[in-house]
Amino acid sequence: MGLMYSKQMLGAAAALAFFTAAVPANAQTRAETLRYVTGAAVNTLDPNIPGSTREAFAVSLSTYDRLVSFGRKQLNGKWVFDLDTIRGELAESFDVSPDGLKITFKLRKDAKFQDGSPVTAEDVKWSLDRAVTAKILGKAQLLTGSLTDASQFKVIDPLTFEVTLPQPDKLALPNLATVYPIIINSKLAKAHATEEDPWAQAWLKENTAGSGAYIVETFKPGEQVILKRNDAWNRAAGDKQAFFKRLIIQSVPEPATRANLVEKGDADIVIDLQASDAQALEAKGKLQVISTPQYNAITFISMNNQMPPFDKPDVRRAVAYALPYDDMFKAALFSRGDLLAGATWADGKPPSGAFPIKQPIKLDLEKAKAYLKAAGYPDGFSTTFSFNVGQSATAEPMAALLKESLAKIGIKVDIQKLPDAQMSTQITEKKLPFFTEGIVAWLPSTDYFYRNFYTGNQRWNYSSIDNAELTAVAQKARFEADKAKYEADGKVLNAMNFDLMPQIPLWQPSQDAVMASNLTGYTYQFHRQVDYRDLSRK
Amino acid sequence: MTTLGATAIRAARRFASSLPALFGVLIFTFLLMRVLPGDPAVFFASGPNSGKEEIETIRKQMGLDKPVPQQLFLYLYDVGRGNLGRSLMTGQNVTKDLRERLPASLELTFSALLIALVLAIPLGVLAALKPGSLVDHGVRLFCALGVCVPTFVSGLLLIYIFYYLFGVSPDPTGRVDIFTTLPPAHTGFLLIDFALAGDFDGWWAAFKQLILPACTMALFVIAPLARITRASMLASLGSDFVRTARSVGLSWWRIIVTYALRNAILPVITIAGIVFSTMLGANVLVEKVFSWPGVASYALDALLSSDYAPVQGFVLLMASVFVIVNLVVDVLYGIADPRISIG
Repeated sequence: MGLMYSKQMLGAAAALAFFTAAVPANAQTRAETLRYVTGAAVNTLDPNIPGSTREAFAVSLSTYDRLVSFGRKQLNGKWVFDLDTIRGELAESFDVSPDGLKITFKLRKDAKFQDGSPVTAEDVKWSLDRAVTAKILGKAQLLTGSLTDASQFKVIDPLTFEVTLPQPDKLALPNLATVYPIIINSKLAKAHATEEDPWAQAWLKENTAGSGAYIVETFKPGEQVILKRNDAWNRAAGDKQAFFKRLIIQSVPEPATRANLVEKGDADIVIDLQASDAQALEAKGKLQVISTPQYNAITFISMNNQMPPFDKPDVRRAVAYALPYDDMFKAALFSRGDLLAGATWADGKPPSGAFPIKQPIKLDLEKAKAYLKAAGYPDGFSTTFSFNVGQSATAEPMAALLKESLAKIGIKVDIQKLPDAQMSTQITEKKLPFFTEGIVAWLPSTDYFYRNFYTGNQRWNYSSIDNAELTAVAQKARFEADKAKYEADGKVLNAMNFDLMPQIPLWQPSQDAVMASNLTGYTYQFHRQVDYRDLSRK
Repeated sequence: MTTLGATAIRAARRFASSLPALFGVLIFTFLLMRVLPGDPAVFFASGPNSGKEEIETIRKQMGLDKPVPQQLFLYLYDVGRGNLGRSLMTGQNVTKDLRERLPASLELTFSALLIALVLAIPLGVLAALKPGSLVDHGVRLFCALGVCVPTFVSGLLLIYIFYYLFGVSPDPTGRVDIFTTLPPAHTGFLLIDFALAGDFDGWWAAFKQLILPACTMALFVIAPLARITRASMLASLGSDFVRTARSVGLSWWRIIVTYALRNAILPVITIAGIVFSTMLGANVLVEKVFSWPGVASYALDALLSSDYAPVQGFVLLMASVFVIVNLVVDVLYGIADPRISIG
């Protein structure tokens, strides 16, 4: 009996010792750990794999370096990425030749891959060759910066690398700072390449071979990724290390649960809460809520310009004047964001060549009725309005208001809610007459928006507009080096866009980053995810 | 011994006879997915610059560029070799995904069913012993509440009370606290694996994560189980053999448990089998609310993005589970009532 008693005591003492030993260890690392929760999931470690999610992009920004990265600027008191300042990441410096046709990069001497081998110009060449040659996502992106062929990339010496352009292109350098052109440890990757897979896509999907700020510790696709700091990394602004020693990126599908987690302090930062939750948490005042209008994203109401009755500009104008913009903005987003309606343009001319700008449009049913009559539909017509299930939280109240308001001018609307895959298929096949969708441009310059979202028979041209003049101006603006002329082109495009009204820009929703009050450094990035390297704890 | 052998042979025969049904399910799901209007290639080619070329690449990668009969043939060939295809959503093999996620769902469903049975059978018996009494009405009210509150509401409510207000539960994010090291995987059931590894802190952590979602699911299925127990107990309490047992003066406990309950348990087993299969496939909401990495939420995400392989794999898995559960129910029948033989 006595023996058994002492055995139990021993067990209890051991358990107690284990418990007390374990607790301080956790408490110590908690402050140095960043826990980020999200409704989406990381599905690959290589952002180039078709089907990569935005969360996968964010992880790759921390695990890989690019040659260059964007600086940041303040916009209405909030930090956002700055397309116009580009700083070296793996490049120590870079030079653009006077004719704009050659960019020369000097690589950092101290840069090492995570396995300890130095980063050389050979690795850069292999990585960029891969980005423009392999069947991966980077190809279509780099195309927008005139980077299309492996012959454009040249190794000068182990630390010098040169890019040649067919024409001066102001988007060439910014393109190298986007998500896709990651610099890969070419020796390591080549060791895992096979005959059918010369660019090691299969291996890089599950493994990393980068020089980035964080090293992958565990990767469970669809559940969580745990990263630990690469202590040798010093590529943050001012040659600094990343702050957090450990990053936990975890999928939590239920938005209410995410709100609970961040409010209780169990999660440090979340960016995809429902607008109502973000507002409630902001009102409580315990947490920091940084709400940045996504200035490179727009939500549209699109009309298929090739499909009657929306092939008539007057019908599109009628719809534009019949929408209750303020009510929709309040109901869908709790007014969190920038509304793109309700401006006044002096003498009807666009005040700027930027895109998007506030449109001189507001609810005016008389005007709408007049346009409808002019189009030959005095009694209105019937149509369907579609949105995808994934957006229902914002699209549903907006669609209800749209239906009610259009009924007043005789347009009968059936609301149709489509599963996400079905919606994207129908948009690509140009089968939807009337719907709402959003766009985002990583490199938000006016010509880029117009070229990608208003021209060509492709998915992102939601309104299927096919206007030769608009296309010509946008193409010309792409290579316009003169700033004043570029601005003038932008104004022409904005004026044409308003006159033709192919689709109605509604608003730029806010990105609500809700975070612990002791976090600093949050910056709104072009990829609309958190760049974990920006953050630190006070 | 011979009865056991006979049962095994019958069970095997029964299983073999369900193979054509499984094959039918396989082909039906395959065709159904192709008939649905969403195109997975378009959905997954959704980078900001993806055009026709990306769509074609994905289509080729998924084998969608081949004619449907050939796709079906290739799919059957792969399934025959134990390969269910690759998920675009997670980028993994479906077999691997399901193998990792099925134990999570099974552990949750088993625990929920256990909680439900432990509560529902005594409640049903109590209600049947005194029909029309206050106890009976109390049980009825409890059941009605359990059924009429949707699981995501009761789940969120439980989280709000036990995590948010009182802080006694850990954060509802998956099967185990993120700082806990996982035990070596033997069964995939964390409670068993932790116990095997002798890690009782880990066991306790996993148990705390499990208890809320399990209760949420249990609340929902207590009603059918308790109601069916009550109804069949009433019938069996009013029968001749119970009257005889009473008249010969057997003890109260023996009458209720050995005679009445044992005879009343058959329909409860049937319902429990059905409830189990339904819970396993239909607990999407609970899995979503508690971020539980199970098969149901996996299948739903795949369905929304028209990711063919995971959906097909999931339906096949569910069909197999259904077959196995029915088999188990039949075997349990034999144990509960030796007069019944399965054939």
